[in-house]
Amino acid sequence: MSDILRLEHVNKHFGGLHVSNDLTFSIKTGQVTGLIGPNGAGKTTLMNIISGIYIQDSGQVIFDGKDISQIPPYTRARMGIGRTFQAPRFLQRSNIRDNLLIGSDLSEQKSFTKSFFTRQNMTFEEELNRYMKVAGFDIDLENDITSLTYGQQKLLEIVRSLLSHPRMILVDEPAAGLNNAEIENAMALINIAAKENGIGVLLIEHSMDMIMNICKEIVVINFGKVIATGTPEEISSNEEVITAYLGKDADD
Amino acid sequence: MKIKKNLSKLFILLSCILFIVIVPMFFEGYSLMVINLSLIYAIITLGISVMLGMGGQLSFAGLAFMGFGAYFVANFCSGRLGFTIPTLLALVLAPLFCGIVAFLLGLILLKLKGTYFTFATIALVQVCFSFFTNYRPLFGGPDGISEIPSLSVGSFTFSSYNQWFYLSVGILAAVAIVVERIRRTSFGRSLASVRDNDMAALTLGVNVYMSKVKAFALSGVLGALAGAMYAMQGNFVASDLFAYNNATQFIIMAMVGGVNNTFGCIVGSVLITILPEIFRSLERFLQLFYGLAVIVLMVFMPMGMAGVGSQFAKKIKKILGINKLKRSANSTHSKGVSK
Amino acid sequence: MGLNVIVTVLLNGFAMGMIYALIAMGVILLIRAIGVLNFAQGDLLMVGAYITYALQVDMKLPLWLMIPVALLCFAAVALIFMFSIYWPLRNASYPAAIIIATMGASIVIKEIVMLIWGGLPLRMPPLFSNPETGGGRLLTIGSVNLQWQLIITGLVGAAAIGVVFFLFEHLYAGKMLQAASQDKFAAELIGIPTVITTAATYIISISLACIGGYMVGPIFTVSVTLGNLLLRAFAGVIIGGLGNIKGAIIGSLIVGIIEAFASVRISTYKDAVIFLVLLVFLVVRPQGIFGEKIQDKA
Repeated sequence: MSDILRLEHVNKHFGGLHVSNDLTFSIKTGQVTGLIGPNGAGKTTLMNIISGIYIQDSGQVIFDGKDISQIPPYTRARMGIGRTFQAPRFLQRSNIRDNLLIGSDLSEQKSFTKSFFTRQNMTFEEELNRYMKVAGFDIDLENDITSLTYGQQKLLEIVRSLLSHPRMILVDEPAAGLNNAEIENAMALINIAAKENGIGVLLIEHSMDMIMNICKEIVVINFGKVIATGTPEEISSNEEVITAYLGKDADD
Repeated sequence: MKIKKNLSKLFILLSCILFIVIVPMFFEGYSLMVINLSLIYAIITLGISVMLGMGGQLSFAGLAFMGFGAYFVANFCSGRLGFTIPTLLALVLAPLFCGIVAFLLGLILLKLKGTYFTFATIALVQVCFSFFTNYRPLFGGPDGISEIPSLSVGSFTFSSYNQWFYLSVGILAAVAIVVERIRRTSFGRSLASVRDNDMAALTLGVNVYMSKVKAFALSGVLGALAGAMYAMQGNFVASDLFAYNNATQFIIMAMVGGVNNTFGCIVGSVLITILPEIFRSLERFLQLFYGLAVIVLMVFMPMGMAGVGSQFAKKIKKILGINKLKRSANSTHSKGVSK
Repeated sequence: MGLNVIVTVLLNGFAMGMIYALIAMGVILLIRAIGVLNFAQGDLLMVGAYITYALQVDMKLPLWLMIPVALLCFAAVALIFMFSIYWPLRNASYPAAIIIATMGASIVIKEIVMLIWGGLPLRMPPLFSNPETGGGRLLTIGSVNLQWQLIITGLVGAAAIGVVFFLFEHLYAGKMLQAASQDKFAAELIGIPTVITTAATYIISISLACIGGYMVGPIFTVSVTLGNLLLRAFAGVIIGGLGNIKGAIIGSLIVGIIEAFASVRISTYKDAVIFLVLLVFLVVRPQGIFGEKIQDKA
């Protein structure tokens, strides 16, 4: 398994706040890499740096051997960096079909003229059915996106991202706000992405069950700094991590 | 679901045919001209639909582009420059020229976001209006430019209101089909993502800025096309049409009809142009009722008439008992998962 | 240009700038509090001009009585406007719906005024009028003649704006309004009802415009075209920085002064000059003179 993404000495400041402090680690294809840390540790900021919403002050983001630090977010998406958000972001005024098509638009990169003159493509139907079976609920493509529950929307956002055939996805707290059955389904979807599709997954999650279950490798950050990397076993026995994070979590 | 879609398609098709058949039978002269104008205005409204309905950007600039288109035809076809070009060529060149101008302007103006952009388009309308009114060499000043020839194709000239009616319907239909088609392309979806969530758009590979610029250019093309047709149909252009107050008119047309609905925009334009003529008898209360109607419409149906239409269609569907067609197979968790 | 001309033009620009500032401040207060661009603000100024005309010329009220009655009327107009245009639409799914409703309101206001007072411009006597000619009195300093009405306009405008600033910066009620405009939900939680704060914002915002109408009436005439002053105020808002009140006031003054000089030099392109300056500003410095990057609510 090769590195799909590498961060090298990434620094980012917001005013006086050092939200990313010399971050260096890599994400491999075909496995789930967990990114954990207490609230405010700089996890989501890091995702924003990888997807290009923020530009780091110094350091490099290397995707597939190429420095993408100065590349705009939409080009990064086209290069294959997919993304889901803590609160799902859909086109609220479009139906589910269009919301999913925008994902497959990205993978097909059809030119405007081609998509203007050809019939609406639903080539992803088979693929969609495969994912929806795992996601565990039915959708009516003509319905408004708002007809889905919050949990369903979060699952569908992962599906949308997979439909764009990314080479890596960034998944931001997929379990937050989901019930147990839905969490199972989210995990299954993420596993499909890593195992069957063989892409890289960076997963932010507070649910330790989920992290310990599906991550091959875990990166722990606190105050914008990497404090540990390793397998779940190594992390759960790491003193520094326990005091910084797990210990606090266990007290709750 | 399919049934509902086909039903509404059928409804639209039928009402269009009815419109085309009935209007020339009952209207002539001035009233037919008003209807023709309303069809021409609908083209601008569709430009607004692309910008506001699809892309979520409130732009007043459509009117300025209409002016460009009209004065383009006025200058090149009336012979005031000492030469003329064929009207058909002008009808093609005007939108092309304005599309390029709009694209370049869009590159500048769309660096601005939201309300700033709206302000900029208002400023654009004001600047253009000021030049249209005052700069005689190009725009004829307050007297305008007259003796603009009507459109002719080969040896056939569109001269009567009747002929213009069919021409306008034809061009509008073509524009409507293109706009409706764009709604369903990757470009249309890019715009929808810009409108609803620009952050998601970026991470889905949408170049937010260029999508808006392209939409602006398209609204420029449509505005200029309408302007060129306006100039040719009336054989006359004067600057008062391009005052800022009229720009709000087009936005109202789009919103009343349903800004994100092609057919709704056309209905909105036709109604708002024609109704004042029908209710002429109200005289000085006419504008008052118009303003009140706009407010009431916005309060009770902010999605315009098209919004009401689709809700109505949903209700009918419920009554008819058409069940949802489920797409994916049931899985083990499918029931009881949703909260 | 002689000294006389320059000073006169400057004063003219300053006075008109103050009028624009009164509109602009109201526009920004509304944008900040409820995120709505009010396209009827200019027409509300016009209503202010007509109300004061009715009180002063038709009913011949003395000044000491006229001012409080006028202010009450302004507040009433504000409340009617708010509850008919904004309140029913505050939760609309398309934000543009409210903006369009204010465009509709702009038409309605014009028409109602025309129905009541007719379409002909009305002459409103200036505050200090010359008893012999009926025109405005002049203040003569050396060789320079200044119109009292313009001076008063500048002063009253500055005073009205000063009062609102004092309210926001130093009084508890003002701080409450600001807090509510930043986070309605949190404000509700600590017991500040949105209805009251929104109504207060509307009253302040619309009264400012109406006071502008009272001042501007004698300078031009009282007519429905006064509503068009809104566009100049918009220009001022942008030049100063959208969302920034101080910036908008300075921006409005700049617009007034540019306009005054432009009308001496190239009067036909007066509008073009103002809005070209605006376009240049938008492109070169979109955040305005004083604006920092702010979240765009509208």
